[in-house]
Amino acid sequence: MQHKLTGKDMAVRILLVDDHPIVRQGLRTLLQGRGDWEVVGEASDGVEALEKIDDLQPDVVVLDVTMPRMNGLEACRVIQQKHKNAGPEVLFVTQHDSPQMMREALDAGARGYVVKSNAARDLLEAVESVSNHRVFTALARAPQVSS
Amino acid sequence: MKLRILLADDHEIVRRGLCALLQKREGWEVCGEASDGREAVEMAKRLKPDVVIVDIGMPSLNGLDTTRQLLAHDPHFKVIVLTITDSDQVIREALDAGARGFVLKSDAARDLVSAVEALQSKRMFFTPRVNDLVLAGFLDKGHVVARNEPPNLPTLTVREREITQLLAEGKSSKEVATLLNLSTKTVETHRSNIMRKLSLHSIRDLVVYAIKNNIIQIQMPEPTRVAAETTVA
Repeated sequence: MQHKLTGKDMAVRILLVDDHPIVRQGLRTLLQGRGDWEVVGEASDGVEALEKIDDLQPDVVVLDVTMPRMNGLEACRVIQQKHKNAGPEVLFVTQHDSPQMMREALDAGARGYVVKSNAARDLLEAVESVSNHRVFTALARAPQVSS
Repeated sequence: MKLRILLADDHEIVRRGLCALLQKREGWEVCGEASDGREAVEMAKRLKPDVVIVDIGMPSLNGLDTTRQLLAHDPHFKVIVLTITDSDQVIREALDAGARGFVLKSDAARDLVSAVEALQSKRMFFTPRVNDLVLAGFLDKGHVVARNEPPNLPTLTVREREITQLLAEGKSSKEVATLLNLSTKTVETHRSNIMRKLSLHSIRDLVVYAIKNNIIQIQMPEPTRVAAETTVA
């Protein structure tokens, strides 16, 4: 997958997708610590996420699995079909602490998978990894990064 | 003088979101954060917050029993319950437990500030659906509110509910004893009483009872290859 970032000075542009505004606020707060990252927008379901991706062209999409209208897995598959290798990297942040769901997310084309209950621990490292095209997966146990 | 708020939710990401929302208000401060109900009760006793916001689905001690314990300790505590579900039974239990506010997590960004303001002004705040239900129950003399309630459930004591939750979460009697600072023998006695009162015969039955009665909440089924879902995370 190609990435639009070309230089060290360019900010990583992040789109947050979750149906709970309070979770999006929590994600935003966690990401604020990094001056070189920018949250460029938010969406509350998969359909809105696809529209925002077209408009905002983020580098990383932080995506929930369970959402109304279109869930995260479907949205991820559409992103892959539509953008081929030139689209944003997808990082799932979900309540599903399950190897099966993680496998399904990676099969759908995601680059990363983090469990919501551990997001405060794993999110920054996960965004760092996926924005550099490295796989990051973390269930309840310790996180794993691979290239 | 600042309004002091204690937050209890097992997801740090939600607490971060709630903190950011509440601390935008001048004169409000989040004086503490707890990641389960037991910690919330301890912190509330120590910090004496003006408002306590509790998630229902917390490990170790759920939000409803947290509310009961807080109000048993001090009836002046003002508790707002946060929940992902507005089922009749959960609403009824939250009201029975003494919560003065009831906010859906999905609406928290919109409603939570209003809820805290209401409690600050010695009023109650309920999400619109709860208002409808309470009104319907009032007009129908309780018939609507009670319609979905399990019939004639035996009453467990506060201690028995605590132990039920811990056992249903998979803890052994010894682990429960350590957590609650009791002897293993005392826990075993409570356990026998619980099983007898509820006519249960195995831990599996106890887990089913705990789920049905909102003592514990389970993760939702995995949405494998589904096109759309309506449940919230």
